[in-house]
Amino acid sequence: MSENQNTSNCRISRNVLIKAPGLLPMLYTPREIAEDLDVPETTLRDWLNHGAPHSRDESNHIWIDGKQFAAWVDSQRNARKKPTHPLQAGEGFCMRCNTIVKIHNGEIHPVKGNLSHLKGKCPICGGIVNRGIWNAGSSELPQG
Amino acid sequence: MLDRQNYLKVKLFLKFSRDVRGRSSVQISNDFEHLKALLLWAGSQPFGSVPTINTSLSDFLFQKGEKGLDQTELQSILNTNERFFLWVKAMFPVEFQNIRLSWIMKISAISEGKEVII
Repeated sequence: MSENQNTSNCRISRNVLIKAPGLLPMLYTPREIAEDLDVPETTLRDWLNHGAPHSRDESNHIWIDGKQFAAWVDSQRNARKKPTHPLQAGEGFCMRCNTIVKIHNGEIHPVKGNLSHLKGKCPICGGIVNRGIWNAGSSELPQG
Repeated sequence: MLDRQNYLKVKLFLKFSRDVRGRSSVQISNDFEHLKALLLWAGSQPFGSVPTINTSLSDFLFQKGEKGLDQTELQSILNTNERFFLWVKAMFPVEFQNIRLSWIMKISAISEGKEVII
């Protein structure tokens, strides 16, 4: 009864992300679920082709479990989240290498109030790396 | 799994409310949220046999609302459900002949001894 689909990430609108948890634990037709989520039925059918959970009965009619679909929407949101890496003390983002690096020979220059400016060199390309810091202390400077 | 016929009746009621009673889309959206509680309460039982459910709708809402329910919100949910049952009894008299008018009028009454957040 259930189908296997290609599983790629879909762009889910914010409106759907908010409405999907409100889906009921029952079988919906594509039209009903599209109405409840306020999306065009064609968009929903596109999601079904991209791995949204659904099943077909013996008459080949499509049925979508509300709770399973809500879980799939939630998984799509998490799949699109990019992993983040907060900058640690003494680290900066080198625009030339396009990566996070440990700043070499860093110097802190006060700008205004609590805002300071950490300036140093990239250990990979030798280019200048800048980073703005709040409440700068000696811990912001790279060791060694 | 919920009874699909119940869901379809709720949808029909919302369509009737919009087209005939002229309720706004915000009101329709609120009504649907209120009637979702009824759908969950009825579960797989058809609406025609809900008077046999032991737990009353207001008790069900108390159990469901972990953080407590607002008095006005609770009363609003119960009133919507009462309106729905009055409509459904009028529209499907044979199917809902077992549902007494006295039972419908009791829906919006909150059980005594229940604490609500005011």
